[in-house]
Amino acid sequence: MLNLLAQEAASNVDAGKAIALALGIGLGSLGAGIGIGNIFGSMIQAVARQPELRGELTGIQWLGFALTEAVVFYGLIGGLLAFVLV
Amino acid sequence: MKRLSALALTIWLALPSVALASTTEGGEEEFNPEHDFEVGEWVPIKLGWLDLSINKAVAYLILGSLLTMAIGILLMRIKVGSKNEPGRRQAVGEIVYEVAQTQVAEQGLPHKAIGRWFPYVATLMLFIWVVNMIGFIPLPLSNERFTVPGTDLELPTLAVYAATSSISVTLALALMTFLFTHIEGIRANGPIKYFKSWIPDVPKAMYPLIVPLEVLGQFMRLISLSVRLYANMLAGHMLILTFIGLVFVTGHLILAPLTVGAAAAFYIFEVVIVVSIQAYIFAALSAIYIGSAIEPEH
Repeated sequence: MLNLLAQEAASNVDAGKAIALALGIGLGSLGAGIGIGNIFGSMIQAVARQPELRGELTGIQWLGFALTEAVVFYGLIGGLLAFVLV
Repeated sequence: MKRLSALALTIWLALPSVALASTTEGGEEEFNPEHDFEVGEWVPIKLGWLDLSINKAVAYLILGSLLTMAIGILLMRIKVGSKNEPGRRQAVGEIVYEVAQTQVAEQGLPHKAIGRWFPYVATLMLFIWVVNMIGFIPLPLSNERFTVPGTDLELPTLAVYAATSSISVTLALALMTFLFTHIEGIRANGPIKYFKSWIPDVPKAMYPLIVPLEVLGQFMRLISLSVRLYANMLAGHMLILTFIGLVFVTGHLILAPLTVGAAAAFYIFEVVIVVSIQAYIFAALSAIYIGSAIEPEH
């Protein structure tokens, strides 16, 4: 599979750029996916232990979610920039 | 009445795909979702080097501002009905106010600064929410035109576009927060104490390394604040458009239920979660930045 991708990338510049963008975004979202899972997992644990804190925790939870999720989009913007400029 | 309005909403949402189909049916134009993010130029206004032309993004911003004002006045100023009973509208207004007060302002701002900066962060939240939201309602404000069958009438096609999926808009919003942060920091602490507060407690030998990093960090806030909102909205719209466009790219109508279903799922995800979260995040981070400039030791 990787061999095929490398062959295609070597012979066709556009294909190479598309593959690089897709691989970059895919690998980038891996980390953010783990991070977001962590946040919601911790939130569930916290609420299970102290349900009365739910209101206060929700704000922090969404803040953390957005900060983590944004990391993917930095990768996306970087990838798109490279895609368009190179 | 409820069912009627739901039906009207569904038809209204289903229309853009028809319009999209009619433009790509010619086959000459290649499907490219990026075209939907070109703003074009409607009313050219040029003051020397300053380009103040009205384009698609500006039209959406004007619409968003008017709607924000209308929502604010309708929900929180005008009172109708009996004098002592709070109506449903007032309840909605109070929910919006309470979110802005407890979740945004009190999270970031120190107690003494809430009175001064609450209007700013609350307006930011409401405005970004409205601009994001009208970005997901198909409006006849696109650059593409189609002719009404049987007549010569040319109308803009319905399209979804958010002003916040343009980096200029979000950068302008982030610049406001950036400026207010430093102005408020200097006003509250004095320039010397404020700029000193940027630098953490480290040995003097570390300064050549730390000081550029901390100064860079202040500007990175600007970038992260603007790119977060911009990229979220851009990626959301691009996902929806790409999934709908997949039918035309591949040319197989069998795929339609799958891709349109996926597009609808992403649409719902964006409208229900992303729109509100991004508005909340932008306002909350602005509040935190301003608050940390007022009281640097926190």
